[in-house]
Amino acid sequence: MKDVYNFNWDDLGDLSEGRPNLGGETSVLVYRLMQFTFKDIFSKELGKKKTLELFVKAGNIAGKEFCINILDTSLQFNDFIADLKEKLVALKIGILRIEKSDDEKRQYTMTVSEDLDCSGLPIFDESVCDYDEGFIAGIFEEYTGEKYNVNEVDCWATGDRTCRFEVKQVEN
Amino acid sequence: MDSHLILEKIDSCLKDAKKHGLQKKGLTFPIDPALVEDDELRDICSRLASFFDMLNEAFHYSEQLAQGNLQVNASRANIFTMSLKGLHASLTHLTWQVNQVAKGDLNQQVYFLGEFSNSFNDMIDSLREKQILEQKLKIITDVLGEGLFLVDSDGKIIFSNPEALKLLGYTFNEIEGALIHIGIFKQLPDGTIFQPGENPLCNAIQIGNDYNESNGVFTCKSGFMIPVMVSSRPVYKNDTLDGAVITFRDITEQKKNLETLETINRLLEKQALTDALTGIHNRMKFDKILTSEIQRAQRNNSILSLIIFDIDHFKQVNDTYGHSAGDNVLIRLTRLITCNIRVIDFFARWGGEEFVVLSPGTGLDGVIQLAEKLRGKVEGYNFKEPGKITLSFGVTTFHDGDTDTVLINRADNALYRAKESGRNQVQYN
Repeated sequence: MKDVYNFNWDDLGDLSEGRPNLGGETSVLVYRLMQFTFKDIFSKELGKKKTLELFVKAGNIAGKEFCINILDTSLQFNDFIADLKEKLVALKIGILRIEKSDDEKRQYTMTVSEDLDCSGLPIFDESVCDYDEGFIAGIFEEYTGEKYNVNEVDCWATGDRTCRFEVKQVEN
Repeated sequence: MDSHLILEKIDSCLKDAKKHGLQKKGLTFPIDPALVEDDELRDICSRLASFFDMLNEAFHYSEQLAQGNLQVNASRANIFTMSLKGLHASLTHLTWQVNQVAKGDLNQQVYFLGEFSNSFNDMIDSLREKQILEQKLKIITDVLGEGLFLVDSDGKIIFSNPEALKLLGYTFNEIEGALIHIGIFKQLPDGTIFQPGENPLCNAIQIGNDYNESNGVFTCKSGFMIPVMVSSRPVYKNDTLDGAVITFRDITEQKKNLETLETINRLLEKQALTDALTGIHNRMKFDKILTSEIQRAQRNNSILSLIIFDIDHFKQVNDTYGHSAGDNVLIRLTRLITCNIRVIDFFARWGGEEFVVLSPGTGLDGVIQLAEKLRGKVEGYNFKEPGKITLSFGVTTFHDGDTDTVLINRADNALYRAKESGRNQVQYN
C-alpha cells in the first residue's frame, strides 16, 4: 500500500455502471454522517484546529477538481459565475447567490443557501462550513490562477438562514 | 413579587402593545428580574425579558428592511429574525443582480425566490432577446454598404457605422458629438456654404421631417467633397423627437457611370444617324431634316432646294477595281462635295452611290449653279482608282404644299432624265 494517496477525478468511478439502479445521488443525511464522523474522529486524533485546516484543504482540492471537470473555465467571469450557480443547483449542492462584487479588487460576498453541510443544523456558537470555504477558494483559484482567501462570516449554525462567505484574492 | 403580580404586569404591557403597537421604544419588560425573590420565577422573568429584547430587535430589523436598508444587522441568537435574515439575503442578492443587469450582465438567473425568480428571469429573457436584436442590428450597420449616422435632435453625432467613417476618413472619436451640418453636410455641390437656417438636413433633423437628397455633397476629413445620396428619418423617444438616422451613399462611381452612359448614348445616336462608310449623315437623319426644313419653308414662305445625284456607272468601278476601291471613291467623293457646299447645306448619303444635298435659302437658279459646280469639281477630280468619274444630277425646288415624297420624287425624276439624257449633267424639275 502506498503511503500517500493523490486524488484523481477518475477515482470517483463510473456511477452509471456501478450504480445502475440507485443512480448517482444519495441523501444529504449520508453526506453529513460522513462529514461529521470524520470531524469527530479527526478532532480527537489531530485536534480541532488541525481538523478544520484539513477540511479546508480537502475542500480546496474538491473545488479545483470540480472546476476542472464540471465547470467551463473558458467563459468570461460573469458567464462563469452564472455557470457555477447553475451547476451547484443542478447537482443539488446549494443555491449560490452573489451579494456584492468588486471585480477590480477581486472581492466578493456570496451566500450559499440550502447547502450540504449546515442547513437545518441546530444553532452552535461557531460556523461549520470549513469544507465549503476550501471548496469555493479552490474554484476561484483554479479559474483565475490566483490565490484566494475565503472566510465564512455567517452560517446557519450561527443563527443565520444562509451561509455567507467573504471571498478575497490574496495580494501577492 | 408573586407570580400573580408578575402576570398582571406582563398582561398590562401586552395589552398596551396590542393597542398602540410597539412604537419606537418597543416592548419594555415590566419587571426587573433582579427584584424577583423566587429563583424559579426570576429565571422565567429573565428568559421572558430576553424574548422581549429579541422581539424588539426583530421589529426594528423588519422595519429597516421594509425601508430598504440592507446594511441593518440582527444578532445571531435572535430566533425571531432568522426568516428575516433569509429575506435580507435575498434582497441583497437581488440588488446585486439588478446592478449586474445595469452593467450589461444578462447571464445571471435567480433561483428559488418564488415570484421574484419568475419575474426576474422573464425580464432577463426579454433583455437577452433585445440584446440579440441589437447585435443583429449592429451586424447590419457594420456590413451595410452605406454610411450611417445617428444624431440627436441638435444634429450631434451619437453613432456612426464603419462605412461612414471609411467614406469620410474619420475615427469615431474625431466626430463624436460634432454637429453633422457644421462639419459634414455644410455646402452645396458648387461649394456654396449653407447660410444659417438654410441647411435643409439640419432643418429636417430639428423639425422631425424626412429628408432626401440625391445630389448632395459631404465634406471629408481631408476637406475634399464626395457626391452623396443622403436620406434622413426622424427617431422618437416616448413620442418626443430624439434625433434622426441619416444614411448616405458615395455616388462618385454612379456619376461617372452616368457620364459614361451619356457619352455612349450620344455616340449611339450619332452612329444611328451617320453613314458608317463616309461619315456624312445617313438617310434616316436626312428624312428628319427634310421634314423640318419643309415645315420651316412652308411656315416662313422661304425657298428650299434639293439635289439628288449618283455616280455614273459605279457598278463598273466595283466590278473592275473591287469594292474596296469603290468604297474609297465614295469616301473621297463625299469629302470633295462637303468642301464645296455651304455649312447650312445638308449633305447625306441616300443609299448605294446616291446622295442628296438639301439647300435652304437657295432657289432654282442657285441650286442649278451649285449642282453644275459640283458636277464640274468631280469631273475634274482625279480619283486614284478608277481615275475619273462623273455624276448625274436631278434638282428641284420646294413648291407651296409639297410633301417630303413629292419633293423627292420631283428631284428623282429630274435625275432619271439626266441619266436618260447621257449622264454627267444636271436636269431640273
